[in-house]
Amino acid sequence: MYAASGINGALGRALLLVGIIASLFGAIAAISSARQRDQAVAKLIPRFAILVFAAGLGAFAVMERAMITRDFSLAYVQKVGSVSTPALFNFAAVWSALEGSLLMWVLLLAGYTLAVTFWLRKKMDDVLSRYALGVMFIVNLFFFVLSFGPANPFVAGPAGVFDGPGPNPLLQNHLLVMFHPPMLYLGYVGMTVPFAFAIAALITGRVGEGWLLATRRWTLFAWGFLTFGIVLGSWWSYEVLGWSGVWAWDPVENASLLPWITATAYIHSVLVQERRGMLRVWNLSLLVATFSLTILGTFLTRSGVLNSVHAFSQSAIGPWLLAFFAVIVVVSVALIGWRGDRLHSPGSIDSIMSREGAFLANNVLFSVFAFVVLLGTVFPLVVEALQSRTIVVGEPFFDRLTIPIGITMLTIMAIAPVLPWRKASQELLSKRLFWPAWCGVIALAVSVWVGATGLAPLLTFGLGGFAAGSALRQVVLATRRQGIRGLVGRANGGMIVHLGVIIISVALAASNSFTHSQELNLEVGKVATFSGHTFELVDVIEEKTDRATAVKALVKVDGGKAYAPAITKFTKQGMNVGTPSVKTGLGNDIYLTLEPPVRQDENKARIKVFIKPLLLWLWIGGGLMALGTVLAAFPGRRRKPTSPTSEDDFAADLLVMQ
Amino acid sequence: MATRSVHNKWSWMLLVILAAALLVFGSTRTSGPQTQSDRIDAITKVLACPTCQGESVYVSRASAAESIRAEVARQVASGQKTDDEIIAYIEARFGSRVLLVPRSTGLDAMIWVLPVFVLICATGTLVFAFRRWRVETTDQVSEEDAQLVERALREK
Repeated sequence: MYAASGINGALGRALLLVGIIASLFGAIAAISSARQRDQAVAKLIPRFAILVFAAGLGAFAVMERAMITRDFSLAYVQKVGSVSTPALFNFAAVWSALEGSLLMWVLLLAGYTLAVTFWLRKKMDDVLSRYALGVMFIVNLFFFVLSFGPANPFVAGPAGVFDGPGPNPLLQNHLLVMFHPPMLYLGYVGMTVPFAFAIAALITGRVGEGWLLATRRWTLFAWGFLTFGIVLGSWWSYEVLGWSGVWAWDPVENASLLPWITATAYIHSVLVQERRGMLRVWNLSLLVATFSLTILGTFLTRSGVLNSVHAFSQSAIGPWLLAFFAVIVVVSVALIGWRGDRLHSPGSIDSIMSREGAFLANNVLFSVFAFVVLLGTVFPLVVEALQSRTIVVGEPFFDRLTIPIGITMLTIMAIAPVLPWRKASQELLSKRLFWPAWCGVIALAVSVWVGATGLAPLLTFGLGGFAAGSALRQVVLATRRQGIRGLVGRANGGMIVHLGVIIISVALAASNSFTHSQELNLEVGKVATFSGHTFELVDVIEEKTDRATAVKALVKVDGGKAYAPAITKFTKQGMNVGTPSVKTGLGNDIYLTLEPPVRQDENKARIKVFIKPLLLWLWIGGGLMALGTVLAAFPGRRRKPTSPTSEDDFAADLLVMQ
Repeated sequence: MATRSVHNKWSWMLLVILAAALLVFGSTRTSGPQTQSDRIDAITKVLACPTCQGESVYVSRASAAESIRAEVARQVASGQKTDDEIIAYIEARFGSRVLLVPRSTGLDAMIWVLPVFVLICATGTLVFAFRRWRVETTDQVSEEDAQLVERALREK
């Protein structure tokens, strides 16, 4: 017995239908005007883009309205809504399950489509623009259909429901749930733009460098959002999940890492194409891979084939996503094959010891990295299909394989930034690498002095210092030459991103290798010590709201402020959620969790303490990466396109050095 | 050039020797004392929680993970077994599906072999490409390119 859903259900479904129709007509208008060079039809494209965006925004707004007004006629609101959810988490509850998160995808995709249309408004005469928008409309069509059909959030639920369980308790106790998913999705969905241009370039046969330069910034921003989204996700994991880690190699995390890896490879190798006109097929493949991996990742994690903390309940969208993935791959491969003759580029790379040679080495490494992550993620499926037994592939596997890859990457990061294009002489290398290498030795000496052990962490610290030296060298030379403008532009902003990556590598190595933990049985009035810190239980308090009961242990750390690790029992879900409390510092984080069983005894609490070195630097590094991305997006100084090598820069460097 | 003497062979050799010495010293000395809790963490990181797919016992807060953790804690506290022995004991009690590290036999071995295979293939392709480029440097300039260069040089 289903009640007729109210105004929200009808309106939402109608808007999704408008979105489907507008995307369909937009695609037809864009592609037919591109094929027949019809200006009159092309003029309609912006209107369809506006309509698609209005439909996406409208549908999302209706869902928010339904959630805020607690419209329990909708099945989706029954699933994730609750009368007692606080306003902010209720707002975020819209994207806390499959249908709603797909709706957010639709909204962002429609937004990107409108933004690209606006950006192209004066280039609409160009056939390539029309094809690119045509591809975007087709992707819109797919997601609107998905949202209207198999994953419709506006379906009516059973009648007579006046309250629901609310979102998963893990999604309602930290503010980051407001920001992590939208950021990540801005990254995922943003990868549609370069993909659309790549397909358009293949269709028009204009596979030269024009479209690449045009979409560089779109790719960079999507990559920046993806990076930032991943960092925010790690932060959320650290602040909420209570096992003191930031990355668990969970399938959903891997699904977000995969397009990040291929996009990072692209951002590097595309420079070779811009500069030398080479690697055309490879770069197109990387863009296609990035976009299709966002779809494959969504399939793997949203269809129920793989389970993880992020996985939503089983749904019917699996076959749709898999089919879409297959279409993308087949069409792209066919187009690349069809345009094969034009994609062959003249020119050659003379030496691995050159900027382009280093980019190639970087790409080999990133490809292997992506393969390892993909393999580890899908391998359990393969084993289950072939031998019908379950195996788990977890952190130990990924650590063993990715740590050597990471260390090799740091090595390349140390050498590559000083390499000139074409080829480098030994003398040049010796000169440019000298001070960066000493930075590495100093970093190594300092780490040994403060007591670091183990080959992998020490290599990370040493090579991190080396790579930081190379990155700083570039930034210092550029700022000496151009003042503050030496901080912007691709090369300089890129080096700031590198510094962020190095800081993150060092922080990960330190916090993974040198964390110490201890369980402490605390009693009020007695001081316990661990690893040079004191812990004193002040009180155990219970806080009751109508949705949850929280037991908090107030623990004074080092005689200062009291921290309050808690265990919250969410009444409706009957679920206990531990909430850690962290004393953050530049040297160490002190991470406290309250351990079950929760006793009502008011004078005792069992606490687990983790001392995590340098963990704060993960977030600092993430911030630096975001800053560097923004700086890299600004147009920097362009060298004359006619100068055959970067030896000119080299000469300028020498002048500055002396 | 006044700075040239600094970058000579000897100072590079000094740098390499110093780095190697620091690495050898730092990586062979023993790390500080492990608490019992550190040992429990290290062991539970390679054990899979049997009820929650994909998570380790270390990460998981599920009750099955809690009971394995408690068992590991008991074994560590008794102080009679090494880490590997404790892992073997847990495997004997809970079955091989609690092992988080893929085995290196049978089909499971592919997960270790394939990445190496891909690395070799990718590096091989790169080496092959460099070899081909070396042969291919015949510098045939197309009409279109020649015009482009000419135009660019005029603009300069």
